[in-house]
Amino acid sequence: MSNQTELQIALTGVNKHYGAYHALKNIDLRIAKGSFVALVGPSGCGKSTLLRSMAGLETITSGDLVIAGERMNAVPPRKRDLAMVFQSYALYPHMTVEENLTYSLRIRGVKKAEAKKAAEEVAATTGLSGLMGRYPRELSGGQRQRVAMSRAIIRHPKAFLFDEPLSNLDAALRVHMRKEIRALHDRLGATSVYVTHDQIEAMTMADHVVVMRQGVIEQQGAPLDLYDRPVNRFVAGFIGSPAMNFVPAVAADDGRSIILPFGEGQHLPVNRPVPRGRSLIAGLRPEHLVIDPTGAGPIRLDVATVESTGSNSYIATASKPDIVLVTNGRSPVSVGSRISIGIAPEHVHLFDAGTEARIAVEG
Amino acid sequence: MSETTKHRLMLAIACVLAAIYLFPLYWMYVTSLKSGSAMFATPPGLFPSDPQWSVYTYVWETRDMGRYMWNSLVIATGSVALIVLLGTGCAYVLARYRNRWVDVGLFLILMLQVLPASLLITPIFVGFSQLGLLATPRVAVIIAIAAKSMPFYVVLVRSTFMSVPMELEEAALVDGNSRVGAFFNIVLPLARNGILVSGILIFMQAFGEFVYSKSMIQSIELQPASVGLNSFMGPNTNEWNNILAYASMYVTPILAIFVLLQRRIVSGLTSGALK
Amino acid sequence: MKRIFSSLADGKGFDIALIVFPLAFLFVMAGLPLIYNVVMSFQEVDMFSLGTFARPFVGFKNYVTLFSQPETWPILKNTAIFVVASIAGQFIAGFALALFFWTNFPGASWLRGLFLVSWVMPGLVVGAIWNWILSGDFGVLNYLLTALGIIDGNIFWRSDPNFSLWAVIIANIWLGTSFNMILLSVGLSAIPKDLFEAAELDGANAFQRFWTITLPMMRSTIGAIISLGLIFTLQQFDLFAAITSGGPNNSSNVTQYWAWDLSFRQYDFAQGATISVVMIVFVMMASIVYVRSTRHEVRG
Repeated sequence: MSNQTELQIALTGVNKHYGAYHALKNIDLRIAKGSFVALVGPSGCGKSTLLRSMAGLETITSGDLVIAGERMNAVPPRKRDLAMVFQSYALYPHMTVEENLTYSLRIRGVKKAEAKKAAEEVAATTGLSGLMGRYPRELSGGQRQRVAMSRAIIRHPKAFLFDEPLSNLDAALRVHMRKEIRALHDRLGATSVYVTHDQIEAMTMADHVVVMRQGVIEQQGAPLDLYDRPVNRFVAGFIGSPAMNFVPAVAADDGRSIILPFGEGQHLPVNRPVPRGRSLIAGLRPEHLVIDPTGAGPIRLDVATVESTGSNSYIATASKPDIVLVTNGRSPVSVGSRISIGIAPEHVHLFDAGTEARIAVEG
Repeated sequence: MSETTKHRLMLAIACVLAAIYLFPLYWMYVTSLKSGSAMFATPPGLFPSDPQWSVYTYVWETRDMGRYMWNSLVIATGSVALIVLLGTGCAYVLARYRNRWVDVGLFLILMLQVLPASLLITPIFVGFSQLGLLATPRVAVIIAIAAKSMPFYVVLVRSTFMSVPMELEEAALVDGNSRVGAFFNIVLPLARNGILVSGILIFMQAFGEFVYSKSMIQSIELQPASVGLNSFMGPNTNEWNNILAYASMYVTPILAIFVLLQRRIVSGLTSGALK
Repeated sequence: MKRIFSSLADGKGFDIALIVFPLAFLFVMAGLPLIYNVVMSFQEVDMFSLGTFARPFVGFKNYVTLFSQPETWPILKNTAIFVVASIAGQFIAGFALALFFWTNFPGASWLRGLFLVSWVMPGLVVGAIWNWILSGDFGVLNYLLTALGIIDGNIFWRSDPNFSLWAVIIANIWLGTSFNMILLSVGLSAIPKDLFEAAELDGANAFQRFWTITLPMMRSTIGAIISLGLIFTLQQFDLFAAITSGGPNNSSNVTQYWAWDLSFRQYDFAQGATISVVMIVFVMMASIVYVRSTRHEVRG
């Protein structure tokens, strides 16, 4: 992100402790105005704690939290002017849809007629117009989700905070709402922070993805940057579906290829020099592996299983570790047959076996 | 046997069981309506052959029941008001946090709940008399009942608060409310039912309270109906129709509340007692 | 000042404000009496020194006196009989009823709830009713037992020293059965139905299912209910006041009634406090068992 863009939320050296438990470790994060940032990671990685710290529902132990130019560390949630969409939607069960929508306005002293008008405008854009008199228990899951969204929109907040808002919806509706939330974000010119454990959601919706593990930001950047240049084995395995194959390897004497542990000393050429004898982990994305019909591919293994979804086939090899590759359409090979697999040298990811950090292309 | 016949049979047996179990209650009402001679007849009549409805007005007037009932009402209402006022916030805080201090507080409260009133009355009586509280004996009883019953109320209402999702309160905070506002706008309305049921349970307990009133209220004018009933039952009494008429009038309001709100009271009680 | 106000509105100050007053109230009105009780048990307290705080300390004299009195051990024995018989009766009757109402026929839950009237009634009223039912010459219980051929002469429940304690126990079992039943019903309905289906497929008959599934699954509920029963039974006072007043000749006297009787009938506050301390220690041990078993319940 360039320096010219206006920052909406900035976290510097933020830490959060629960007693002895260190939940957030030295978090640095800049969220530009108008951007859509996804916080993604396995459960317990601290992504929700980070979001709740921005909202003020958790107080940070140290560091700085700045929202729209103001330091907000100890400011109560109501004075932060952020809107949050909860995983459970948190709709007030004793209020109608309209009362849910106008609640924040009424607290701020907006006149009744004005609040009602604002609610009707928002409801019209989110398709809730006919449901204003209903109670949350009388709505479907998708409708509740929309009420939660509308309740956030009506306030024109400094930023929207989403805490896994789609995880209670069925798969089809989730895909649909993904697009809708992103479209809404663009239309409102809003700033959004979106927590999810689903990397596909993060990759498809966000312009900036933050991958977290155990309270640490492992990597952040544009979605495809993370896909192309993961900084370590964790990010490489987390981003992409099906997950990357990891194979222990040793750098060969020629310095331009690596030796895989599949017997016969299978050599795999790489596009960067590696010091001989160094222990490595090779990362091979299933979609980058191709079956070489001529049999000239550098990796030769037997097929253990073939799973086909019709559009794709997932082929797993009988080896230790096994290797999964994806082909379009029907599988060209059958179980038990020997295949020869190739991969373009620039697609081979290399990680140090000890630190698991990426070994970058030099120069 | 089909499902419905089986159900009907079970229902019939259940009704018989309930009738046996609730017979003492029935016997109270029946006896109260019997005349002096019918009451001592052998075999005892299962139905009053000549119901003496006038016994109720007679007992009400001769025993000054209006005054006794009023005192019971004052004591019960005062206790409930004090307990709800103090206990609701306490239950909320104990529900909202989960840490060692809350565990300690909860444990102490459970401990207070189990102390028998008849054992605590000795120090309370001595202490209250030294503080001069016995000059207003009904207030003294209200305070003593509140201290005795508040733990029970806190345990019940705490489980109600725990069923209000934390996110609702958080949503209200993000929506621009203060803690105070969120508590009164969101949390309390959602816990209203549990508070109401627990308050009613406390009311019923306090309405029938005996030990504290018997020990601390010397003046007949200020005694509640439980103490009145106790002094009505002398060791060699034979006015059982009158005594049970008194008991009927005393207990019927409580039974009416219970039967009306039975489902809520039972579920409120069970959710608190085991958690 | 501004910071305090903002903490009250937005922060921990709100929680602290809510909890400080009730805890202070409980401490002053329940905690202090408890301590005062212990203090009095080591003092000489009579009608003259009642109003002062400066009373002579007498060490363990009150305790020595208590355990040297001829009625102490019979009363402790009565208490034990009262507690064990009441809990056993309430629990067995309550469990039987809970198992019966477990078959969810229409109307079951409403009827089951109706049983609880015995528990919400004032103890004095329950006492008055049973006083009359247990009456020697004209009581309906004697009539029923005679008619069924179980007894041939009237039992003078309240005035015969052999039966007076049992008169109170019968009334107490009636009073507490419904509460046991309701809680046991809750425990029963919490057992997953598929466990019984699995056991049935494994070939267990109804009796075996009860012993191998129902009882083990109910273990913590039963523990909680029995300790609750112990707590409630030791709190029972009203029935004694209404039915026997501890008589005749202490034959139906129990500690919780005796403590009150010593203080408020014989004005021996020191002895009343002393027996209270002994019993309170016992009740507290029972409630620790209760807290532990409900803990277990929550963790599942």
